[in-house]
Amino acid sequence: MNPTEIPLKSPGSVTDLSIGEVEQVERALIDASTRVPVLMFYASAIVWLLLGTVLAGFTSFKLHSPDLLSNVSFLTWGRIRPAHLNVMLYGWGSNVGMGTAIWLMARLCRTTLRHPLLLVTGGGFWNFGVLLGVCGILAGDSTGYHWLEFPSYVAVTLFLAYSLIASWAVLMFRFRRGDPIYITQWYLLAAFLWFPWMYLAAQTMLFIVPVQGVLQAAVNWWYANNLLFLWFGSLALGTAYYMIPKVIGRPVYSYHLAAIGFWTYAFFASWTGMQRLVDGPFPAWMITVSIAAMILCIIPVATVGLNHHMTMRGYFSLMRYSPTLRFTVFGAMSYTAFSVLGVIISLRSFARYLQFSEVSVAYSHLGLYAFFSMIMFGAMYYIVPRLVGREWRFASLIKIHFWASVYGIGLMTLMLLAGGMVQGLNMDNPTLSFTESTQSVLPYLRGRSISGILMTVAHFVFAYHFLLMLLGLGRTASVPTFLNPVNPEPGEMVAH
Amino acid sequence: MKGFTPLVLGILATLAFSWLGLAYIPDLQIGNLDPQSDEEGTDIYPMPKSGMAERGRRIYIANGCFYCHSEQVRADYAASDIDRKWGDRRSAPRDYIFDRPALLGKMRLGPDLANIGKRAPAEEEAAPAQPGPSNPAPPNASPPAANASPPPANTAAQQNAKPAAQSPAPPAPAASPAQTAAASSPAASPRAANASPPPANAAAQQNAKPAAQSPAPPAPAASPAQTTAASSPAASPPAANASPPPANAAAQQNAKPAAAQPPTSPVPVASPSQTAAASSPAASPSESPALYSAAWHHQHLYAPRSLNLDSDMPAYKFLYEKRRFGGEQSADAIILRGEGALGEGWEIVPTYDAKCLVAYLMSLNQSHPLNEVKSVAPPAASPAAAKSPAK
Repeated sequence: MNPTEIPLKSPGSVTDLSIGEVEQVERALIDASTRVPVLMFYASAIVWLLLGTVLAGFTSFKLHSPDLLSNVSFLTWGRIRPAHLNVMLYGWGSNVGMGTAIWLMARLCRTTLRHPLLLVTGGGFWNFGVLLGVCGILAGDSTGYHWLEFPSYVAVTLFLAYSLIASWAVLMFRFRRGDPIYITQWYLLAAFLWFPWMYLAAQTMLFIVPVQGVLQAAVNWWYANNLLFLWFGSLALGTAYYMIPKVIGRPVYSYHLAAIGFWTYAFFASWTGMQRLVDGPFPAWMITVSIAAMILCIIPVATVGLNHHMTMRGYFSLMRYSPTLRFTVFGAMSYTAFSVLGVIISLRSFARYLQFSEVSVAYSHLGLYAFFSMIMFGAMYYIVPRLVGREWRFASLIKIHFWASVYGIGLMTLMLLAGGMVQGLNMDNPTLSFTESTQSVLPYLRGRSISGILMTVAHFVFAYHFLLMLLGLGRTASVPTFLNPVNPEPGEMVAH
Repeated sequence: MKGFTPLVLGILATLAFSWLGLAYIPDLQIGNLDPQSDEEGTDIYPMPKSGMAERGRRIYIANGCFYCHSEQVRADYAASDIDRKWGDRRSAPRDYIFDRPALLGKMRLGPDLANIGKRAPAEEEAAPAQPGPSNPAPPNASPPAANASPPPANTAAQQNAKPAAQSPAPPAPAASPAQTAAASSPAASPRAANASPPPANAAAQQNAKPAAQSPAPPAPAASPAQTTAASSPAASPPAANASPPPANAAAQQNAKPAAAQPPTSPVPVASPSQTAAASSPAASPSESPALYSAAWHHQHLYAPRSLNLDSDMPAYKFLYEKRRFGGEQSADAIILRGEGALGEGWEIVPTYDAKCLVAYLMSLNQSHPLNEVKSVAPPAASPAAAKSPAK
């Protein structure tokens, strides 16, 4: 039922000396062994997050003010946008995902991280690769493939760095203690094995032995969608499966549901991608298969959602206090919204209007921000105090971060959905001039820029808070930082 | 979950399965297409792009054009792409076999560009419509005829377009049958109505170009195009074209002073007397280049809102060079009026990159019929409507 004893320990019960102390010491040792690499991944992720946020701001403002900074080649919209995307995907998302995954793996395998410096080297190379790639894009060296814009020379660097990082994570799995494999470990292991698979396949079929014509687009979308689902999605789901039970102190509701959710996810999500190309120049079956897979993805979404919901049942009030829980649950709920939107926009009758509209941007942000990034923020709020030995300094900053992020992504999604629908409907109406469709979406794009300001505030506040933690300026307290004062009976509160 | 091995195998197998289904099998199905040709092995489509257009593709990618412009036309039952005159038929895999990468696009903050080269005014109308060298453009004001462009001839047209666009000399494509542009300008004027407040000044500006140089420039256009039968008429417009230059120099000179004037209506161009010599001096120099001509693309890239006030496209001024000129103005200089007008002695000329980019745009043409795809417009009929303002 509860093979890894994740949720049942509460830091409050330190007085229990029998087994509690041994485990406490063991965990402390594990955390200490992961400190340097995980903090390095986190720190670089946050630097990329800030850079990506600034680039996103430019991207958004330039859409409704096209003359803004347009005279410099490396600041033109068509370069800033892929720079933003890739910074977020490979700089922010992958760094924070790998950092979290390494920490979770060490904890769940109950083994200290061996040779952390090699991981640090891998991380260094990864960041170097991302930096090189972003400079390449800004210099005009983009490859022209969505989400794979980094020039080929960067791909080599990234792949080598990744191999170094992932092999450590997988090796850790081999050294694990305790036989049963927890749900989180399935997802993390899968993500670590899937990413090189898809990256290598895409690089091979696009650059080394390029396939012909439109198939490049097919491979490209196969990769992009799998990156979204199987890499970022798996990392986020695995993390949520750890954080939710851990914070509320209850085991996961059903192991069987989790297993169904995992395997259907692996099976169906991997077949999506072509639904982005509805009625494009492809054999219709390719697109239909992906639409069908997209619809079938409802199964993993429903099982995972149900599982989380049943685990949380009766404990939703804890979201009042725990930052981790609040972020994670928001992310898990967004996963459902993201998937439902994905199904809707892939249906042919909707894709006709929405395929080339801003709705697809809303969809990507729902997946990468509302779902993935929010869960990662939650994980960082949980993990960082355990690495630096301090608690978060200000509850108020966490609240600002949360609400600015939530309102930011909420407003952005609404604006892009509404704007995209207007745009798509106007575009499909040949009696209106095309300019009509781009003009009609402008007010919404301005609204989106406002949402971007909110998110920028959130990220800078978070970065500042993280910096305080890094500098050892966190609180020294035995109780974690709660968002609101905990009620007088802390016995109910388990962990944080 | 028990055991490490089944887990890992399962993880690897699921992705392998999807790769097999979505990448490998499609590769077997449509991964080795050949260009299509008729029985005699002529009329080959598609053809690889010229070196300049391929370089243009890199510029197009480097500046992220494909994030806002798709290059795919969806079927008539699936979307209104064809109603928007973005093409006569849906795109098919065979259209892209030489594209690397195939820039299908996923967003339309700008119009689809799959056939932007086809929508350029001059060449493809000239090639089929040529009755003979002496009469390069069909009788005046016959846009339907000019528009007919029987598809078989399109290859030729396309061929013309490329080398023409390539000649390092000023944008020759527009130059070759400039008077056809004039002839089609009735068609151009409605376009102008919705796209460009200061409407098309096809003849004046384009004719101005050959003026700067010897009548030689059109020649490159003619040479490589000869491989195809239909292209022979293409040789004629240069001849016809050669005559106007002298007159044009004057027209060009007029352009600058005219810059100060507010744009006037396109009346002069709309009355094409179809001999180039007649049309060019008559044309009011205060107009913009013909829609989707090379000159138009250059001006649009440099200052999008000088052509369409509502355009949301960023300007690509860094692809152009502003410089002082002594003596004669460059033939390919962009002529801006109103606010953007330059001071005396300054001109804006495209860099080589900009020329490549425009060459790439002019090479985008999926109008050639494919056996596997039904065209909306029957090839022989004259779809006058199909060519009218493409928005």
